This record gives sequence, structure tokens and C-alpha cells, in this order.
Amino acid sequence: MNTTDQTCCGPRPTRRGLLRGALASGVAVAGSTIVTLGAAPAGAATTPASSVLVVLSLRGAADGLSLIVPHGDATYYAARRSIAVSADRLIAKDGFFGMHPAMAPLLPLWQAGRLAAVHATGLPMPNRSHFSAMEQVEDADPGSAARVGWLNRLIGAQPGTSALEGLALGSSIPTSLLGPEPVMSFPDVDAVRIGGVDGNPRRVQSLTTQWQRATTPMAAGFRAAMSSVTDLSPAEAEPDNAARYPHCELGNALASVARTLRADVGVSAVTVDSGNWDMHTGLGQADRGWMCRNAAELSGCIAAFFNDLGPVTDRVTLVTISEFGRRVQENATQGLDHGWGNVMLVAGAGVRGGKYYGRWPGLQNTLDADLTVTTDYRSVLAEIVASRTTASTSTVFPGFKRERVGVMVGQ
Amino acid sequence: MTTLTPSRRQALRLAAGSALAAGAAVSTSAAPASAKTSYRPGRYAATPILDVQARHLVNRFSYGITPELAAEVRAAGGHLAWFDQQLATAYDGAADNLCDWWPDLHLDAQDLWARHSSGTRIGYRVMQDYARRVLMRRVTSRRQVLEVMTEFWENHFHVPAQVDNVFVHRTNYGEGIRAKALGRFDELLPAAVLHPAMVFYLGASISTKYHPNENLGRELLELHTLGVGNYSESDVKDSARILTGFTMDHFATWKPRYESSWHSTGPVRVLEFSDSNADADGRSVIQRYLAYLAHHPATAKRLAGKLVSAFVSDDPATELVDRLARIYLENDTAIVPVLRALVRSPEFAEAVDAKVRDPERDVVATYRLLGARVAAPTSDQSAANNIFYQVASLGLAPFMWPRPDGRPSSNQAWCSPTRVLASLSLHWSMASAVWPSVDVAFRPYSAWLPIGSTAQFGDLVDHLSRLLLHRPASQTLLRSCIEITGIPARTGLRRRSPLAASDWTRLLGAVLDSPDFYQY
Repeated sequence: MNTTDQTCCGPRPTRRGLLRGALASGVAVAGSTIVTLGAAPAGAATTPASSVLVVLSLRGAADGLSLIVPHGDATYYAARRSIAVSADRLIAKDGFFGMHPAMAPLLPLWQAGRLAAVHATGLPMPNRSHFSAMEQVEDADPGSAARVGWLNRLIGAQPGTSALEGLALGSSIPTSLLGPEPVMSFPDVDAVRIGGVDGNPRRVQSLTTQWQRATTPMAAGFRAAMSSVTDLSPAEAEPDNAARYPHCELGNALASVARTLRADVGVSAVTVDSGNWDMHTGLGQADRGWMCRNAAELSGCIAAFFNDLGPVTDRVTLVTISEFGRRVQENATQGLDHGWGNVMLVAGAGVRGGKYYGRWPGLQNTLDADLTVTTDYRSVLAEIVASRTTASTSTVFPGFKRERVGVMVGQ
Repeated sequence: MTTLTPSRRQALRLAAGSALAAGAAVSTSAAPASAKTSYRPGRYAATPILDVQARHLVNRFSYGITPELAAEVRAAGGHLAWFDQQLATAYDGAADNLCDWWPDLHLDAQDLWARHSSGTRIGYRVMQDYARRVLMRRVTSRRQVLEVMTEFWENHFHVPAQVDNVFVHRTNYGEGIRAKALGRFDELLPAAVLHPAMVFYLGASISTKYHPNENLGRELLELHTLGVGNYSESDVKDSARILTGFTMDHFATWKPRYESSWHSTGPVRVLEFSDSNADADGRSVIQRYLAYLAHHPATAKRLAGKLVSAFVSDDPATELVDRLARIYLENDTAIVPVLRALVRSPEFAEAVDAKVRDPERDVVATYRLLGARVAAPTSDQSAANNIFYQVASLGLAPFMWPRPDGRPSSNQAWCSPTRVLASLSLHWSMASAVWPSVDVAFRPYSAWLPIGSTAQFGDLVDHLSRLLLHRPASQTLLRSCIEITGIPARTGLRRRSPLAASDWTRLLGAVLDSPDFYQY
């Protein structure tokens, strides 16, 4: 029996989870072998979330210098002769920065003051390994060997007992959501059903028998899935507006997220992936190519998402993050190698939008030159957490002293 | 599929709630059952199973223990003898022409490209065929250890099948890895890293001396050999320089060639490897460089660590990793001695059932253990074609992991609620023999019955547990089967089965969805 292992997916049920089960069914709690299994009485399972944080990860190290272009820094143009975006093509310009023209779908949000960008953000030291940097970014607890993500700490620090508080879109739980709090995942809302239930009224009972005391690595996922099937049915009843999004994986994912959030079933943290941003070659031009396509898709999806939230629009904040940015200088294949500093977009509730934030370090035109990080990415995330939730930022980001960014209201 | 209506939702909550309450009333101890409810499983000893350690090794190094495989293990003289035999006969040709049902896999790069460009057959469909053949090999091959090790190395040297135009080279790449999966790593490394599929994928085929693209140079050090933290950024740059020159006839014949004028000459240094690299033809430098990396202690440790994580447990014991790294180096990077030592280690013996079946293993094991016989596909709905989508539905289609690091082998990556619900659906549809239905013959339900008129339902559950889980039935399993079918344990069975097809579906589904099925 796994009594101490919290790194695999068979963690002990948390005290919150146990209490929910015990209260719901009257079963005595004894050690770590009794767990909840969708046993809450009807209607009492979930509490609406007062705020929702959607973390959109740009997988593959997105080039922030192409998304939010520092047109005011001449080195940008010197270092990227074939892939720089000329200043006259940029949108949402101020005296120094401007957006890639493919991000036009985000202009309404920008002009309404609901979208901001923070540049030159990232890890405190360069880490050019995709998977290692992702672990570091999402774990966000450099002092600890435990593999627990910051979003899992966030939902642990908030009131509520449902496995639905943390939701991962896709087939696996990202590191940011890993940890002792049970979380849910799905590729889309309509996939959340137990096969073989129709015409088999005893199927759930039979599965419950096998899994309620299981301690194998699959057990936590089973229990979260079983309890979530019933808790998520209001989301299935919400209309699916995927047709209003760009026709792509991200669009489908965000459409499912919007449905789920509108159903108000207690989700307070969501992770979504957008990839592939690993543009080692052929980044493209302002009006065509890989970056242009990705930026257009990303922007169209975020814009459609905020138009699809209905009654919960003013509760949802979205932030983009990537494992690192890319090198200042283009390489011989019109692409960019792994870099360091990057941009984070922040949109929605609580955002002081229509502005660019961060401290610009200036660019160098050498083989090794990175965009230097001047704002730890955790300062941005912590500011969002402080502005939108009641969680303590020192719980969510242990050992980290945040600096003020100013992108969130009240911060 | 229907949406849950509110009243059904209500019913499910109540069912689960009362189930939990009922659960609390049943003792979890192994005390003999009272007359009221008997959960003592039958013992159908006529269905022989391997002992726990044998089951453990064969489960790790195969895709599911069928009765035929168990018989092979016994005939070989036990699990260790079987394992050694598999290693010795891996390339005897017994598994060469299996499931050769997709003709496009024999086309060369130029033909594949022409058919793709003209719209006759787009590249990604050919890649689906490649995945299908690999999956079907795992279902049917008698060289199970070779297939398992091919999977391991093809993942270690992962080249996603869906990237760009890599399809023109990808099938040949996989076959090349399979041909060297049980040889020496210092031969496998250049075969993989310099293969046009990898060179293309990581951008090395257009990387020139003017400003080399660091991708392959970096991943060679980070993923394929030394591992993160064991090299510097300066090493990455020289690694990239050493690799310049490999290219191909892009967008035409795709034939690989070496372009000396692109090669970055001049002294290079990566860790302790240095070379004047004066010749514009850098191919001899790269062979020496790769040999250096293959024999480096950091590589030995990293590979040993990956093997232990994949085949022992997610928490690799340092002593075992160090010992296997030494054996790797002492045997000039040969893989077989490392595997032989791994399976004989005490750490291995302790890791029974420690690994979770990932989507590929889940689907392949379900086919094997249900005894489904798949025929050459005649349509899109055929099982041999559909198996690709079945794996995809569990979370990740074969060879579709989007990054060069390969899909994770850790349990945690495959335990999400997404995967759970998908596996429940998959197991159910396979247990019902309803889907897939074309070009596949599921074992007839009557063939599952143990022979003997004195057999009772409890015996049948034990029999199914031995066939599908390769162990005797637990109390929990029996109780679960009784619950879903409503058939008490002591119900007698007859030759002509009284069980309806729907009962068989429920039974097989219940066994396939037990916690033990997901572990190996």
C-alpha cells in the first residue's frame, strides 16, 4: 500500500476529500483506506468558484519577441534580418512595443482594457532544456524535491472539496496541477461518461467495489473520474460553441472550458496547452508562416473564449506562459534557438489592460544573446493569485519574495 | 452516446452512495464468508498460471501473458530461461514478416512524397499505417522481448510521426532501430541520430556552418546520451558544428547526402572530446564523437536510469543504476548484458505490478488477453486500422508525442481521469465484441467456459482472473462480478452456457477494469 508516496498518482486522500466522503455517506473514516467515490448527496457536491484562473501553456518555448515586438529597440531588427516584424505592421503600438499583426483578434480585449502583456519574464536563471524548464516553471518550488505543482498548492489553499476545482484539458495532468489535491482532466466535456453504464445499472456499483479501497497508482484518477462524472453533467447541458472558435485543438479545448465554467460547478484552476511553438527553423514573416499561424490561432481562440463565458465572464482570468523564450539572433535556418526571457499575456478579470509591463533590459546582437529576465515569472502569477484569490502567495510560491508588476487591479 | 439526464444523475449518486454505505458493512478482512454472502472465490486450478516472479518478468517484457506465452515460458524452463532465449533468438526471422498488411510502408521516400504531393495518399495516413503495423506486431509477435525493446529505443530516440514531412523517412527509421534494439548502443546511436528522419526532424538537414541550428546538437547531448546538467552551452554549440553537413534532397527525392561545404571546420571540443576537425568532410569526426558519447559514464548512467525507470519502477534505485551503468561500459555498450543483470536484480524482484499500462500497452494487452484474432484489414473499419484510434482514444496515439524527449514512462503520466474514462469505454467495447467488428474474430463466449459440469460461477470468475489477470481471483473481484451480473457465486454452469451475451460483456468488462489489469 502506498502510504508515503505522493509523487505517483496514488496520493493519500486529503483531509478535505475524506471529510467530504464521510459527511456525504456517513461512512467512518479510518486511516487512509476509505475514500470518496461520488457519494455526495445530490446538489451538495460542488460550490461555485468565486474566481477562475486559466493557465494557457505555450508548449515548445514561444518566441515572445515575435508576439510582442520591441520595435523601439534597434537591435531587434539588426539581429533578425529575415524574420523581424517591421514597426509599421504592428498593432496596439505604444512608443516601444507592438503586437504581431496576426494577433488582431485580441485588439477588442486590448482596447477594452482587459488584456495586458508583461515582457522579459521567466525563470531566474536560464534553463534551455524544454522538459527540465517546464518542470521548474510548473513546480515553482525550487527548494523542494517533491513533485507538486503551484496550481495544486493554489487549490489546496482555497475552500472547497471537489475534485473539480483543478481541471486539466487533455490526457495527462501537467506538473503544475500535480499534488495531493485530487484534480480532474478531460479532453472535452462530452468525453466525461462511464462506458457501459447504459443498460447496466450495477456497473457503477461494481466499479466502486473494485476501486474504493484500491491503492494502486490509477486509484486517485479513478476516484476523481467517478465523482466528476456526476458533478460535470451541468457542463454537458451547456451549449457547445466550438463553432465560434478557430477550428483547431486549442479552440475545441477552450470551448469545453467555457462550457464547464458557465456551468459553475466549482472549477477554479484550469490548464490548457497550445503547441507547437518550438521554432528552430522557418519562423516565417509578418503575414505568413509558422509564427503567424500560431499567433493567429492563439489570438482567435483567446478572443472567442472571452466571448463565450456568459455570466461568469467577470470571474475568469487567463495567463499565458511558456518554458522559456528564444534567442535574440536568428540562426541560419530563419529560426531561433533556445533562449531565456519571454512575454506573458494576462487577460480578463482584474487585469489593468491596454498596457505593456515589465523592465526592458535592452537587447544584444550576439550568437549567445538572450532576452534577459528582469521579472521572475512567479511575480506575475503571484500578483494574479493575490488579486483574484484568497490564497496566500507564500503558500503557492514557497520561499519566493514577489516584486510588484502592477498588471493586476489592487496590486 | 447519451447525455446523463438529471434523473439518471440522481440515480448514479444514490447508487454510489448506497454502495459506499454497503461497502462499510462488509469486512475487508479475509475471514471465511458467512452463509449470508459468500465472497470466497473459487479456485479453478485447472487453468495453470505462472508463479508471481515469472508473471512479473514476462509481464514487463511482453504485451500480455496469453496461455500460449505461458506455455512457452514453461517449455523454456522458466522465466529467466525464456528471457535468455528471447534475447538469443530475437533476430531469427520468426517475427520478420508479421502483419505486413500496409503496402505503402514499402514505398521509398520519393514515391511517398510524390503520392503525398499529388494528393493520392497524404503522408500522415502512411504514418498511421506504420503505427498500426507496430501495434499489430506487438499483438502477434513471438519475439515479444524484441518488440518491447524496440519500443523502448524508438521512444528514447523519439521522432514524432506527424511532424512536417518526416513521413518520407520515418518507417525506415523505425525498422532500423528494431534491427539494432538488442545490439550495442554505440551502433544504435549513430544509426538513429544520423538517420535522415532524425536529421530532418531536428533541423540538422538545413543547418549550416554560417550559424548552426542547435536543435540536434543539443538533444543529442540532453536526451540521447549524457543528460541534462552534464554539458555546457559551449558543448552544445560545438556539438551542433560537428553535425553540420548532413542534408538531403528536400522536396524531391529526399535522398540523404553529405554536403562538405556546409560543414563547420576548425577545432571542436565537447567535454573531453576534442578534434581539429580540419577536413571539410566531417563524417569521421562525427563517428568518433558519437563513439565518445556512447561510451561516456554519464551516458551509461542515464541509459541505465531510463531502463530501470521503464522496467523496474518509477523510483530507480541508485545502486542498481550504478551497477547496470558499469555493466554497460564493461560490455562495450552492449544492451543484452544490462538487461540480463536488470531482471536478476533484487530491486526487480521487488517491483511486481509496479508499473501502469500506458495507452499502447493497455490496448495491445486487451487484444492479446481477450484472444481477439485480427485479420488483414479490408476497410477503414477493420480492427487492424481501428486499433490506431483505440490507442489515441486513451490519450496518445503511437509516435505522436510532440517533443523529442519521447513519451514519459512514469506511472503518473498515464493515470489521469481522462485516461480512466477512456479505458473504461475501450474495455467495455472490446468485452462486448461490438466494436471493432470488421476483420476481427473475438473468442466466442462459450469458449471462455472452463470444461466440467461441476464448475460454478465463482470458479468461472477465478478462471477469467487467471486468463486475464494471470492470478487467482480476489474476494473483491468476485464480489464485483457478482454485483454486476447478479449471479450468486454458487450458481452451477453447464456446457451450454446459461450466461447471456450481456452477462459475458459485464463479466469480461469487470475483470478488464479491475485495478490489477492496469498494473504490470
